[in-house]
Amino acid sequence: MKKLWMFITIVLLLAGCGDGHEDAAEKGTETKGESGRTLTIAIGTDIVSFDIHNHNNTSTEAVHDNMFNYLFKRDENNVIQPELVETFDIIDDRTVEMTLKEGVTFHNGDPLTSEDVKFTLERVAADDTLQEYPNYKQIKEVEVIDDRTFRVITHEAEPSLFHRLSRLGSGILPKTYIEEEGWDNFLANPVGTGPYQFKEWVRDSKIVLTPYENYFEGVVEEWDEVVFRVIPENSTRVAELLTGGVDIAVNLPPADWERVAENEGTSVKTETSNRTIMLILRATEGYPTADLRVRQALDLAIDNKAITENVLRGGGIPTKTRVAPGNFGAEESLYNTYDYDVEKAKQLLKEAGYPDGFEMTLHSPHGRYLQDAEVAELIAGMLQAVNVDVRLELMEWSNFVEMRQAGENKDAYLIGLGNSMFDGAYSVDWYRSDRFVGETDYKNEEIDTLLEASAVNLDVDERAKQIQEIQRIAAKEVPHIMLHQETINYGVSDRIEFVPSMDEMIYAPAISRK
Amino acid sequence: MASYIFKRLGEMIPVLLIISFIVFALVFVAGNPVALMLPEDASQEDIDQLTASLGLDQPFLVQYGKYLFHLVQGEFGESFRYNTSALPLVLERLPATLELAVAALVLAVTMAIPLGIWSATKQNSPVDLLAAGGSVIGKAMPNFWLGIMLILIFSVMLGWFPVSGRGTLGHLVLPALTLATGLAAEITRLLRSSMIEILNQDYIRTARSKGMREGMVVYKHAFRNSLIPLVTVVALQTSTVVGGTLITETVFSWPGLGQLLIQAVHTRDMAIVQACVFVIAVLVIFMNLVADVLYRLLDPRIKYE
Repeated sequence: MKKLWMFITIVLLLAGCGDGHEDAAEKGTETKGESGRTLTIAIGTDIVSFDIHNHNNTSTEAVHDNMFNYLFKRDENNVIQPELVETFDIIDDRTVEMTLKEGVTFHNGDPLTSEDVKFTLERVAADDTLQEYPNYKQIKEVEVIDDRTFRVITHEAEPSLFHRLSRLGSGILPKTYIEEEGWDNFLANPVGTGPYQFKEWVRDSKIVLTPYENYFEGVVEEWDEVVFRVIPENSTRVAELLTGGVDIAVNLPPADWERVAENEGTSVKTETSNRTIMLILRATEGYPTADLRVRQALDLAIDNKAITENVLRGGGIPTKTRVAPGNFGAEESLYNTYDYDVEKAKQLLKEAGYPDGFEMTLHSPHGRYLQDAEVAELIAGMLQAVNVDVRLELMEWSNFVEMRQAGENKDAYLIGLGNSMFDGAYSVDWYRSDRFVGETDYKNEEIDTLLEASAVNLDVDERAKQIQEIQRIAAKEVPHIMLHQETINYGVSDRIEFVPSMDEMIYAPAISRK
Repeated sequence: MASYIFKRLGEMIPVLLIISFIVFALVFVAGNPVALMLPEDASQEDIDQLTASLGLDQPFLVQYGKYLFHLVQGEFGESFRYNTSALPLVLERLPATLELAVAALVLAVTMAIPLGIWSATKQNSPVDLLAAGGSVIGKAMPNFWLGIMLILIFSVMLGWFPVSGRGTLGHLVLPALTLATGLAAEITRLLRSSMIEILNQDYIRTARSKGMREGMVVYKHAFRNSLIPLVTVVALQTSTVVGGTLITETVFSWPGLGQLLIQAVHTRDMAIVQACVFVIAVLVIFMNLVADVLYRLLDPRIKYE
C-alpha cells in the first residue's frame, strides 16, 4: 500500500514539474506584458518548415513574410514594386537584368549579393522534389554580373516573371550560411533579410520573432516580439482573443462574428480573399452539363446573393469571374454581379430536352472552405426549384482530391481556387482544353487561341485584354459556375491597428499599437 | 521477475511489427499524399513528377520493404510535411503527452477513489445516487465538448485558468480535467461494485465481529483487496487516455503527440503516423507490463511463470 502511494506521489510531482522555461511566453495573459510590446497572433495551423521552397501553405508564408524579402513585392494596391531590387531592365524576351539595393544584410550579418539570388532561384528552378518547383521551373538560369547585378534568364518568353518573383517561394536565401552550416542548421536557425529575425519555434505551439536591428529599411520599433501561436480549434482561438491572450485570431468562424464584435475590446475585420468558390461542370459527352443551355440554366437557377447573405452572413461577394480586382487582367464588369432567373432557367432546360429536369451529382469538400457543405446544400435546394434533383456527395478533402485525380467526378463539383501569382492568366488557364481531359472535357477553340497567345505575350496591355476576353467568353459559356469570392475574417483586439490584406499575409511592421 | 520482464519485452517485437504493417497498409490505402501537398490547381504532370521524386509511385511491397529496412535501424523515414526525420519530431512531443496523460490518470484516480468508497459504503444514499448520476454524465460527455465548456466557464467567464497552451501548472488543469472526467467515472463505478462485493465477504464480517473500527475495515481490508481490479482498469485505460489526448490536445493547443498525429493523418504524412503509432504502442504495452508488476507488489501470492 505504501508503495502505491509512493508511486502516486512521484507521478504527481512529475506532473507538476512541466517545462518551466516555456511558461512566460506561453501564458496568454503575458502578451499584455509590462509594456504591451508583444504582438501575439493566433494561427490555425503550424508552419510547415523554414524551407521557403518546399511548402504550399499560406499560414507558413504569413510567418516567412516577416523574415524574408522578395525581389519584388505587391503594394497595398496589388501593384508589383521592387523590394530587394533597386533597378531592373528588360534586356530581351527571356532576360531581365536587375540590381540589388545597397546595404541589405542577412540576420547573421552577411551582405546580400547576386550569388545569393542565383543560389536561391536556381535551386527552386532545378530541384523537382520541391513543392514550389512547378512555379519556378520556367527560370533557366541566373547569370551573375557583379556583386549587386545579375540577369534572370527564362527558357521561354515569360510574361509572369515579376508575378513569380513577388510571391511565396521567392524569398532570398543566404548562400554562404547554408553552404557553410548546412541545410539542417538553416532549418533550425533560419536567416533572412526581413524586418524580423528568428528567435524560437516550438512545433505546434509557437514561433517567436524579434526585430532585426540592421534591417535595410530601418529597425521596426513597434514590437519587441512577435509571437505566432498555433491554436487549431476555432472556439479556443476565439476564447483566447476574448480573454486577451492573443491580439489577432485568424479564420474567425461566422458563428462567432457577433460574439467577437459585441465583446468589449475586440472586433471583426474582414477583407476579400483571392479565392473564388465555384462549381466545375463536366462537359463530357453524355452528361446533361455537356449542353451549353443546361450549364446556363444551372447558373441562372443559383441565387449567389442568397448564399453570401444567408449562409456566409456577408462573408462573400457574388461574381461571374474568378479573376477578382487586384489580379492582373481582371474583368471588373463580371465582378460583384450575378444572374438569377428561375423562369429563364426552366425555359433553357426545356429547350435542351429536359422539361422535367434531370438528376445530377454534386461533389463538395466538407470543412475546406467557409461553410462549404452548407453552400452545397443550399445550391441543391435551389436547383430543386428547376426540377434538377441533386445527389449531394460531401467528402473529406483527401478523398475529394483523389476523386478528381482519378477523373471520377460526375456532373459537378464545388471547389475554391486561389491565385498566389495574382495573375489572371493562371485562373483562366483552367479553361485550356488539353488540361482537364477526362475530368471536365470543356473545349473552346477561341479560348485556346487566346491562352496560347497570352502565354508568351510581353505586351502588358494586350495580354490583359486577352485574359479579359477569355473571362467574357467563359461567363457566357459557363464551363464553371462562379459563386462568390470568399472573405477572410479576423478577430482583432482593439489595442492594435491591423488592416487585413488580400494575400492573407500578416506583416508585423504594418501592425501598430493604438 | 527479471526473466519474466525480459520475456514480456521480447513479445513486444512481433506485436510492433504487426502494428507497423497494419498502419503502413492503412495509410497506403488512404492514398497519395502528394495530392494534398500541392495546391488545388496543380497539374497532373506536377503531381506525377513529385510522386515519382518521393518514391511513392513504387509498388506497396517495395515501399514497405524499404520502410522495414529503415525501421530495424531505428529510422521511420522523413516527414513529407516537415521534411525532417520523423522519430525525433515524435519524441520531441512525447513529454507533453506524458505530462497530460499522467496528470489525467492521477486526477482521475484521486477523484474516483473517495467517490467509489463512499458510494460503496453508503449504498443507495443520496451521495451514492449523486455519484452514480455523475458517473453516467462524466462518461457520456465527449471530450471536445467538455473541453470547450471548461474553457468557457473557467477561462472566459471566471478567468481562473489560461485558455490554451502548455507551460505552467495552470495550463495543465483544464486539459487534465477534460481527459480525467470520463476515466474517473469509469473507475468510480468499478471501485464501487468491487468494494460492495468485498464488503459482503466473510473476512469482513469477521473483522467487524472482532470489533475493528469501520474505517479500518473499509480502508485496510476492503479497499486494499479492491486494488487489483483498480490497477487493471487504470492500466487498460492508458490507451484510452492516450487516444483521448488526440482531441484534448487539439482543443487546448497542447503541443503533444495527439496534435501531431491528427495533422499527420490529415496530410497523410506516413512517417509521422507510423512513428506516432509505434511510440503509442510501446507506451501501452509498457503500461500493461507495469500493471502486471504492480499486481505482484499488491498481492505477493501472485507468481510469475
